[in-house]
Amino acid sequence: MSNPWQRLVPVYNKETHSRSFWIFGAITVLGFVLAGLRMVSPLGRYSGMNDAYAWGVWKIFNVMTLTAIGSGSLAVGLAAWVFGNEKLHIAMRTALVTSFLFYFTGMMALIVDVGRPWNFWQIILPWRWNGHSALLEVAVCMPAYAFLFLLFENVPLVLERFSYTGSDRVKGAIKRFDPVMKKVYPFVVAGAYLLPLMHQSSLGGLMLLSGPKVHPLWQSQVLPLLYVLAACICGFAFVNWTLLFTCYRYRRPISIEVVSEIGSLMSWVTFAWLVIRISDILIRGQVHAVLAFDRYSFLFLTETLLMAIPAILLRFKSKRETPRTLVTCSALAGLGGLLYRFTPTAFAFTPAKSYSYFPTLPEVLMTIGFISFGILTWRIAVRYFAILPGTNEEWHENNWEPLFVSLRSRFHKKPQGAPTWQE
Amino acid sequence: MSAGLTRRELLRLACIGSAAAAVAPVETATAAVHSEKPQAAPGAVGMLYDATVCTGCKACMAACNQVNELPADSAGSGGLYHAPLDLNSKTKNIIKLYQAPNAGKWSFVKRQCMHCLDPACVSGCPFEALSKDPEKGVVRWDGSRCIGCRYCEIACPFQIPKFEWDKWNPRIVKCEFCITQRLEKGEQPGCTGACPTGAVIFGKRDALLAEAKRRIAASPGKYFENRVYGEKDAGGTQVFYLAAVPFKDLGLPELGTDSIPYYATKVNAKLYKWLSGPLVLYGILALAVNRNWKHHRHEQEQHEAKGGLPEQL
Repeated sequence: MSNPWQRLVPVYNKETHSRSFWIFGAITVLGFVLAGLRMVSPLGRYSGMNDAYAWGVWKIFNVMTLTAIGSGSLAVGLAAWVFGNEKLHIAMRTALVTSFLFYFTGMMALIVDVGRPWNFWQIILPWRWNGHSALLEVAVCMPAYAFLFLLFENVPLVLERFSYTGSDRVKGAIKRFDPVMKKVYPFVVAGAYLLPLMHQSSLGGLMLLSGPKVHPLWQSQVLPLLYVLAACICGFAFVNWTLLFTCYRYRRPISIEVVSEIGSLMSWVTFAWLVIRISDILIRGQVHAVLAFDRYSFLFLTETLLMAIPAILLRFKSKRETPRTLVTCSALAGLGGLLYRFTPTAFAFTPAKSYSYFPTLPEVLMTIGFISFGILTWRIAVRYFAILPGTNEEWHENNWEPLFVSLRSRFHKKPQGAPTWQE
Repeated sequence: MSAGLTRRELLRLACIGSAAAAVAPVETATAAVHSEKPQAAPGAVGMLYDATVCTGCKACMAACNQVNELPADSAGSGGLYHAPLDLNSKTKNIIKLYQAPNAGKWSFVKRQCMHCLDPACVSGCPFEALSKDPEKGVVRWDGSRCIGCRYCEIACPFQIPKFEWDKWNPRIVKCEFCITQRLEKGEQPGCTGACPTGAVIFGKRDALLAEAKRRIAASPGKYFENRVYGEKDAGGTQVFYLAAVPFKDLGLPELGTDSIPYYATKVNAKLYKWLSGPLVLYGILALAVNRNWKHHRHEQEQHEAKGGLPEQL
């Protein structure tokens, strides 16, 4: 078969309640319980933060770092819809669902992190906004993107399902709503690229105000640009990694054509990032800091290598078309991007000598709990909705996972009519 | 046909409008841009602390606690008396001792908010909970606006704002020049009023700067670099320091003479002026997406007409 990704197909015949499902479930519940407790008690009790390191892992990891790998919708979307790369439409739903989950869990972490969340309602009063604040831009833009734009982009895959399994009234409503949605779709989607371009760069802009507290290898006027490019790199990397990993896991054939295309785009963006990064170091005269061989230069070299190796490897066609190499390269570039996004807020952030920060156990458990929630939701979503690519032959329009089934029957249910993979 | 066009135009306008409304501050047009060298307000108040006069008696700390109704922090005295280890959510003002490693030089230093001319905390605060009093230049905090994000702590180059980690409804605590308790009644702040030796004095910023320069001129070589810390540092502050030891040793960082918010916003202020950047970018994106959308839809319709499966957006 020339292209095994002709259609998006739900995952059939998978046991939901595998052991890992329960493990992720337990971590999620633990994280949520702790989050609930934190909401009714002082921050100091649940985190290792202090007045110098006033931002902990919730903000610098769940929000500022993980939304970079939640930028798949931005990266793949720009390539598919703005640059007209038709091949990549098949990867869009994977990008959209994972992006939404990363942003959603990031927003949860943000609510847990802020000290006075009840004052957040001011977001609807523009005359109270501080137009100079990068954080205002993030605070307005991120929730707007997650809950208006990303949610809207994820509507079609929900409607699709109910156009098959809904009652006649629901089907009729969807038929009426469909043309309306198709009319506004391109204009909303354009906004769905504008917003993350703005707030992903503003996340880098946040650290400009810390001035000398951020090590000169990272403190630079190009932080915003590098942050948004790193988000695109991480977005491509994560979508590619997810496609490869889940297709392997659910034993679906892989479309080399699509994943190598994403790998190639990722490599070009990484080259752009490297050129800007290194030029900036040269222009600001920080070569001596690179060659100091202290922890900072080591960090810099690590992140640069993590970026450069996959970028170079993926320029070779043979490497691009080997799934194993693609998985490795995506992981490396993704890690490089994450490290670059994490370092200015953590390792290279030195506010005061007499203070130090390390997350406490509850803090880490909440962080992991939010991520687990994302993984769990993803695993459920690929079964209820058509998200992962497959072949036309695999598609059975009458074989949707029922939505509301009692848990007990869940364990003994065997879906009818669909072929199993072993056949 | 024309009806369709106008509807599409309407839609386009609505989308642009909603995107703009959802995206960025309305007041970008009116907000003053940060300048490299900010100017002090005409009525700017100030404090001048001369470390060579200070005896380290800590009367100012007691007065600060009294005026601001702060509890004693006995962390450094095993519960005996008010002895905080650093500025914290119970301490807005502190006297610290610096001793050189080789026991030659030593100096006291008083630390509290510097009331910068262009404060990083105010520039970063998303809902203007921190603001600079336009008349006196005092940086104050407003609890009805603060969301507790602590960006002020991340931004402040002097590590001044403190957060109540042990409270469920935490406040940001820092020196506010006793503005409500004293300044607005025509009195001077607690600390300057209590100082027995005149090591810290209160006055108008420009008068204090002249006084500091007079002291330097009167005893050349006495003061470090013959310079007033705060005159130009980080764009200028409303608290001045004179000391015989390097300022860095007293915990006063060398920040250069430019305002930090200027450095942080100079590019974005241009990009976001009148929302021009985002609007232009939205226009370009919308044009490109729309073109590809039409092409994509056309292909899909052909595909469906041939009996293919329905499209999946």
